[in-house]
Amino acid sequence: MKYFIIILLLVFSGLSVLADEEKAVPPPDFANGAKVWAKTCARCHNMRPASDYRDDLWRPVIYHMRVRANLTGQETRDILKFLQESN
Amino acid sequence: MQLIRKSIWHLLLIGLFLSETGLTQTVQPTQGLFEWQKGDSIVHLTGYADFGYDDSSTSNSTFSIGRFAPIFHYMYGEKFLLEGELEFELEDEGSGTETQTKLEYLAIDLFLNDYMTLVAGKFLSPIGQFRQNLHPTWINKLPSAPLGFGHGGAAPLADVGLQLRGGFHMLGKKANYAVFWSNGPTLKLDGGELEIETEGENSDGNDNKGIGGRFGLFPFDSLEIGISYAKAKAGLTGEENRDYQVVGADFTAHPDSIKNLALRGEFVKTELGAGGITASEKRTLTAGYLQASYQVDELKIEPVIRYGEFKSEAETTTTNRQTAVGVNYLFASNMIGKVAYEFNRPKESAANENFSLQLAYGF
Repeated sequence: MKYFIIILLLVFSGLSVLADEEKAVPPPDFANGAKVWAKTCARCHNMRPASDYRDDLWRPVIYHMRVRANLTGQETRDILKFLQESN
Repeated sequence: MQLIRKSIWHLLLIGLFLSETGLTQTVQPTQGLFEWQKGDSIVHLTGYADFGYDDSSTSNSTFSIGRFAPIFHYMYGEKFLLEGELEFELEDEGSGTETQTKLEYLAIDLFLNDYMTLVAGKFLSPIGQFRQNLHPTWINKLPSAPLGFGHGGAAPLADVGLQLRGGFHMLGKKANYAVFWSNGPTLKLDGGELEIETEGENSDGNDNKGIGGRFGLFPFDSLEIGISYAKAKAGLTGEENRDYQVVGADFTAHPDSIKNLALRGEFVKTELGAGGITASEKRTLTAGYLQASYQVDELKIEPVIRYGEFKSEAETTTTNRQTAVGVNYLFASNMIGKVAYEFNRPKESAANENFSLQLAYGF
């Protein structure tokens, strides 16, 4: 039970940070997206070019990778911008 | 007439109120997208499949379909992602063409903030790297999993519960974490043999939940090192619970000085304490591997070598050691042809070898 309470506390602290963050999210950065894409993806698998998916389909793909590769939210948005604008 | 005029004023006022409060606002389409590509929700199908040929010194040569593993994504805005992977496999020889179906994982990911994602459901074990990131056949550089990292090995495979994970920057270095609270493993008897079941049971065999996680750090951009730990209790039905503990360490390196060289290694040790009545002795499973691969861009080929060991200690001890060498051909970034040769050198039994071909497609 104590671990459940700890996880709940972490979740609630995360949610409270979320409320503050939404006020000032920096715009996605194409150049950083290209850099993070090049460094992160190849750690596990071959690089998937932007043309592999339609622009709109990159969104669930990159958010799936956010969980797998432990990307930050900003890195996720940066990579998404890079892939969508390179397509 | 007065009523109509009044109604028009009311409608105008309501319209003004709604436009100010944003209730009538729709999602602004991204430039360049067609109407059917707009909207908050999106469904996406991905996954992988493979086909292979094996010729072993201890059994008949055979063609086989490895697995067909579709992955479903359903995303709402940028806050929720449902992800589920099914796995279809044809049963081994002797069972005809029966198909085995498994739910590898099914989780709802809630993106709490830029550094925190809550994963609820059945998730791949975050212990180490292989299971959570490398097991799909189009990603794994060799046709087989390293010894002790597949089903029935030393590394846990999946869990059902809650997981909190994410990435962040700490003192200029990138780091990541995953912590979970889950049903934990169960113990089963299969033909009199005690098995530690770590594929993510949908109900807890006892009231004791498992906890664990992994912490990863990038001391350099080109190197990630990780440590993992898990703890739980598990017991056979009607018998006392036994202590269960997993420790692990892993690394991945892509040296800047040698482009396209990938080095990785992992170690995991699972201990099940003594207790109960059936197969009551302490059980220790230890596995580890080191792997190097190098992609030759111009030729689209990738030589790979991996050394692995898997030791199981209980009433008797078995140790298997394997050296695997292979060459991959990259038809595309997501379509890989593999040729590999495995030299198995068990300590307690005769050596054997296996030649494999595999075509793996990540779609």
